[in-house]
Amino acid sequence: MGSILLVAEIQKGKLREASLELVSVARKIGEATGREVKSLVVGQGVSGIAEELAKKGGGEVFLADDAALANYSVDAYHAAAKAAIAAGSPEIVLLSNTPTGWDLAPRLAAALDAAFVSDCFDVEVAGAELVFLRRFFNGKLDARLRPVGLPIVATMQPGATAAFSGSADGKVTALAVSVGEGGTRFVETKVAEAKGVDLTKAEVIVSGGRSLGGPEKFQEVIKPLADALGGAMGASRPVVDAGWLPHEYQVGSSGQIVAPKLYIACGISGAIQHLVGMKGSNFVIAINKDPDAPIFEVANLGVVGDLFEVVPKLTEAVKAAKG
Amino acid sequence: MKIMVCIKQVPHQDARLDVRGDGTWIQDENIKFEINPYDQNALEAALQLKDAGGGEVVVASIGPERVTQSLRTALGMGADRAIHVKDAAADGSDALGVAKLLAALAKAESPDLIFTGFMSDDGNIAAVGPMLATLLGIPHTTTAVSLKKENGTVQVERELEGGALEVVDLKTPCLVTTQTGMNQVRYASLKGIMAAKKKPIDVKTVADLGLAGQVGAGAAKVRIEKLYTPPKGQGAEIVSGSADEVAGKLVGKIKELGLL
Repeated sequence: MGSILLVAEIQKGKLREASLELVSVARKIGEATGREVKSLVVGQGVSGIAEELAKKGGGEVFLADDAALANYSVDAYHAAAKAAIAAGSPEIVLLSNTPTGWDLAPRLAAALDAAFVSDCFDVEVAGAELVFLRRFFNGKLDARLRPVGLPIVATMQPGATAAFSGSADGKVTALAVSVGEGGTRFVETKVAEAKGVDLTKAEVIVSGGRSLGGPEKFQEVIKPLADALGGAMGASRPVVDAGWLPHEYQVGSSGQIVAPKLYIACGISGAIQHLVGMKGSNFVIAINKDPDAPIFEVANLGVVGDLFEVVPKLTEAVKAAKG
Repeated sequence: MKIMVCIKQVPHQDARLDVRGDGTWIQDENIKFEINPYDQNALEAALQLKDAGGGEVVVASIGPERVTQSLRTALGMGADRAIHVKDAAADGSDALGVAKLLAALAKAESPDLIFTGFMSDDGNIAAVGPMLATLLGIPHTTTAVSLKKENGTVQVERELEGGALEVVDLKTPCLVTTQTGMNQVRYASLKGIMAAKKKPIDVKTVADLGLAGQVGAGAAKVRIEKLYTPPKGQGAEIVSGSADEVAGKLVGKIKELGLL
């Protein structure tokens, strides 16, 4: 019986929370199917993280520690993953649905001629068979996916599973990786400059989506409510993509990760990337025409209606309440 | 320089989505389709490179007759020619099957650069681009938000999380998947649409590509067992009434939260 290999990630010098979520998923599959859990840690000077993962349920942790692996490149990480696969003989390889997962997981799947499922929020084990659950159509529909045969490469949605919080003794096995001259070369990482808009510190955020229809509507409809509440204005990705507002207004996995006391989502359907960015909000009010919009699943209060009618009335009512 | 752009036709963002009888996909009759938004950025990126340095832009797509419309749109925007894999034998391919079909096309075309969208708006799987690059043995990167071409390399800024970017150099030939917002997508001009009518669309079958039995539903390694409307979970408490009543109720709640 082959093993389950999870590819861990290091973020800001620490083991990423999503990697401990992969431990949960791997152990669940492992317990149900009798497969052993193994892990891979890649980087430079990361033996401490490998030790940590070995104690936190990662099983046998392959450590690919090399100067050539100091920065992420798909070629270098692919070389490390190939070495771990050769050493661990996995039938199931798990990664997180993160920038590393986006780049590396499909490459691994194609190289292994594997079944590939991405961005799964859960997995069910039915006998020897696995069924992965994920969203399609930007969250409008769910699907049960059945891989046919082995191996399987899967990426899991960060935050969808609880991190493994138990302890279990594993071991660290050093892995020799030959990183050749790949075709991709890491140059640098850049952090976008915030130009005066720091949504991460806002107590109230009023966000608008594509259905606002244009940049002027943000000034006419969204901003007055944000101002009345002493809060900040935010936006979903399509708004920023359309150039209506600069990138620093974007709430979402690729934009700002926010945690206000109150988040008011106006005309936002609730694509997964947006929900990831706003899930730390204490209280969420959603205003949307479409009663089936996924945003209503995460909101505390919902209004099914036209934001152009509701939001100005709300702005007036807030102003009146303040006297 | 020769650039290949892989495009997919997907339901329009505002299309009504109903699951079809067998529960494995949506009812796709009588709904509006468009070029996958991520692929529109891919095509725009290719056209901008052609505008700046010349060369040829070839668009490729897989799907039924209706896909011709999207290919004509791409030609109207400025692509030089199109290849359409139109064959029921390709239906039901998984991402790897699609990548195999596109790899066969790419081997025949030998482009210097291949673009695909980061993901499609229907499946959101985000796999075909890297899989295609892997099958071709060429470098790739994902989620490009900008691209510069120099001799023998392209430099890409790829989007990470939380507003961070990663700069990566790739040796050509290579494949880049594009993120939405990478560029402002042009419209097809009337002149472009007229010119597109004379541009060739080369139709291929699975057998033409030497992939009979290797793609399509039968060869798929991943099957959609069931597609369904997400179960209603906790969900929001829905506030109803006139706009005034709703505003009043919301303000009451905001006060309760201590924010007024």
